[in-house]
Amino acid sequence: MLSSLPDAFAILMTLEGLLVLVLGTALGIVLGAMPGIGSTVAVAMVLPFTLSMGQAPAIMLLLAVYAGSVYGGSIAAILINTPGTPQSAATCLDGYPMAQRGEAGLALGWATVASVIGGLVSAVVLIFAAPQLAAFALQFGPIETFTLILLGMTCIVSVSTGSLVKGLLAGMIGIFLSTVGGDPIVGEMRFTFNNWQLFAGFNLLAVVIGVFALSEVLMRASAQLSTASELVDFKGVTLPRLAMWKGRRRTLGKSVLIGNMIGVLPGTGAATAAFISYAEGRRSSPNGDKFGTGEPDGIIASEAANNAVTGGALVPTMALGIPGDAITAVMLATLTLHGITPGPKLVEDNPTLIAAIFAGFFVINLLLLPLGLVLSRVAAPILRVKEAFMMTAIVLLCAVGVYFVRGNPFDLAVMGAAGVAGFILRRQGFPMAPLVIGMVLGPTLEITLRQGLILTDGSFWAFFYGHPIALALGLISVFALIFPLLRQFMSMQRRSL
Amino acid sequence: MTLQRVAAFFACSLLAAPVVAADDFPERPINLIAPFNAGGGTDLLLRGFAPHFAEAIGGDAFVSNMAGGSGTVAASALQGQRPDGYQLGYFSITVSTIQPQIKNVPYDVDSWTPICSVAASPTLLFTNADTPYQTAADVVEAANAEPGKLVYGSSGPGAMTHLTTVAAFAGLGILDKLKHLPFQGSGPAVKELTAGTIQFFGDTEILMTRGDFRPLMVFNSERLESYPDVPTATETGIKAPLNELYLWGGLFAPAGLEPEVTAKLEAACEQAVASEGFQDFAATSGTVINYRGAAEFEAFFRQQYESNGALIEAAGL
Repeated sequence: MLSSLPDAFAILMTLEGLLVLVLGTALGIVLGAMPGIGSTVAVAMVLPFTLSMGQAPAIMLLLAVYAGSVYGGSIAAILINTPGTPQSAATCLDGYPMAQRGEAGLALGWATVASVIGGLVSAVVLIFAAPQLAAFALQFGPIETFTLILLGMTCIVSVSTGSLVKGLLAGMIGIFLSTVGGDPIVGEMRFTFNNWQLFAGFNLLAVVIGVFALSEVLMRASAQLSTASELVDFKGVTLPRLAMWKGRRRTLGKSVLIGNMIGVLPGTGAATAAFISYAEGRRSSPNGDKFGTGEPDGIIASEAANNAVTGGALVPTMALGIPGDAITAVMLATLTLHGITPGPKLVEDNPTLIAAIFAGFFVINLLLLPLGLVLSRVAAPILRVKEAFMMTAIVLLCAVGVYFVRGNPFDLAVMGAAGVAGFILRRQGFPMAPLVIGMVLGPTLEITLRQGLILTDGSFWAFFYGHPIALALGLISVFALIFPLLRQFMSMQRRSL
Repeated sequence: MTLQRVAAFFACSLLAAPVVAADDFPERPINLIAPFNAGGGTDLLLRGFAPHFAEAIGGDAFVSNMAGGSGTVAASALQGQRPDGYQLGYFSITVSTIQPQIKNVPYDVDSWTPICSVAASPTLLFTNADTPYQTAADVVEAANAEPGKLVYGSSGPGAMTHLTTVAAFAGLGILDKLKHLPFQGSGPAVKELTAGTIQFFGDTEILMTRGDFRPLMVFNSERLESYPDVPTATETGIKAPLNELYLWGGLFAPAGLEPEVTAKLEAACEQAVASEGFQDFAATSGTVINYRGAAEFEAFFRQQYESNGALIEAAGL
């Protein structure tokens, strides 16, 4: 495939190729930055346009919008504390406190650099190691995936700001919400009260937008509305100076690695990667204690990981023909529509096309930096409108985004109810990130656990012998839970000495 | 007083509204509802179909998505709409005949005015190329030798992929000797078939060609041109009604649509399916075109609804 790279660049360096890359990435950033409109909606919006395009530009447009929107999500998360998607939820935790401190530009700078590096590294990994990584993905059966998701669940402890008990409760609420709807193994309906609207369960996006964005609007409405407009002081992105990276490179490297690895595994996704990376950053970073108070390492951990997922997710998609998430599934369908059969022979049969897609993906990630700088400068005045207008616009955008996904008015009611419930819970000091983790990971945790039990004839302990990866991940999960207690215990001992 | 006037106004307008002039149809754009997410197979088929349909009917047509509950959310919502011909759903065999018999949805066989069928692909039972099972007989032998060892996958309970494997193994009399592992969607199941966690899966030809898989039987009335060596289910000894399975789909309007409007929609559908543009689209996307007019499609739909009851019973749903 590498030998096809010159031909591939010839495809990219046409007027159409460049236009698609630049406009697609810009559109992705803008759509991603709108609260309520995340990657899935953004990609679905441009999908009809790809039908009349050539093979390479069609896929490139989807990729550009995808990568752009993942980065764009961090803008809304940092500036107005309203992530458009679950994958940006971890970015809020440190991004917004930093913005409140008056360092919004710098917070976005960290997010931009981390996103670009995460995306670029994942593009390089994709180009050089896709077949090897695809083989790695095949090692992850239901049992291995279960232990990985279990590890993800332990992140609830790290993101529970304030009370741990309240964090765990919020996590349980999230898991419970995810059980509504059809049972994944036997198809029986659960908690639906014979209401067909609930057959599909609660829409994840509707709940996430509700508890994060809508409850944020309600929080602000209940506080004194400031007539002096400015939400946060923001003039544009300030890139961090090289010296400021001291002691943060390790967090960056680890986060990129975590994002790549998790992205490669079908069915896990960017939100899982962002939260696991955030938790790992909190554990190992020298600034771990300051996580949650506006610590750049927190932004780096989350953003580098969720952008690295984009390249990772393309590995099983391109090497095996197996989509890693809803967005890569759309890409496979688009390939089919253009007369290309996805599958193990995809790269072999279409070396130039795939090389063009991979090279285009690299260019898209490079473009994130200049486009991010320009667009944030253009967007900065928007933040100076009156808070009341801003909040109204956010509610409107959220409603549009949530309605667009499934075209179901019921989801709007779910969003509203989640907003009010989120508002009440937040007033009582419940953190919202654990709720989202519970709801994002709950369904996968359940189905992989039950699949595993079918395979082992009901023996949970059989998960761990004969499955070295599962054993390792299981032990790491236990360690991740005990570590904070251990640290507390040791510092207590030291004090008593 | 004011309130009464408002109420009276609305009452009048409601009474006036249902008078649909079939001659003028269509006066508004027609909404084609895909019961699944944008970018899926159904959605793309409908998006390829919509422009030709619009041209044939001499109006506008657009595709909207209403996903969830294996397609039942969209069907449940459409079932309650006024049958004016401006809202049509593209429903598959599972949405229209399987789901209403296993879930307590507000629609059944009598809720629809079938317009036309567009596509139908037979399903195949297949295994990974590196497994030792060359024929259905090999599978029966292995399953009887070690009951509970072999595993078949599906994209979810009650899905077409589930019914295909159930039809195969129930038809061969070994259903209780294999384990069923449901996944969420065909993607993860195909991955585990490649990895060896499951040994069997059933889907249409287009999905099977995505991997290095070996077909064991096809649920068609005759052998496929593309796989002349693969026996039909009937040839392996599977009896009706388990021997033929087609993943079909077509346009449905809510029950009670005026015959004149049905005829207009049916004619437009036939013209769109026959159009050069849609035929080209079908060829590149691997869609197997299967047109049936309103009367024929209704009879087929009702017969399928009945016969799929046997499958549902065999699957224990």
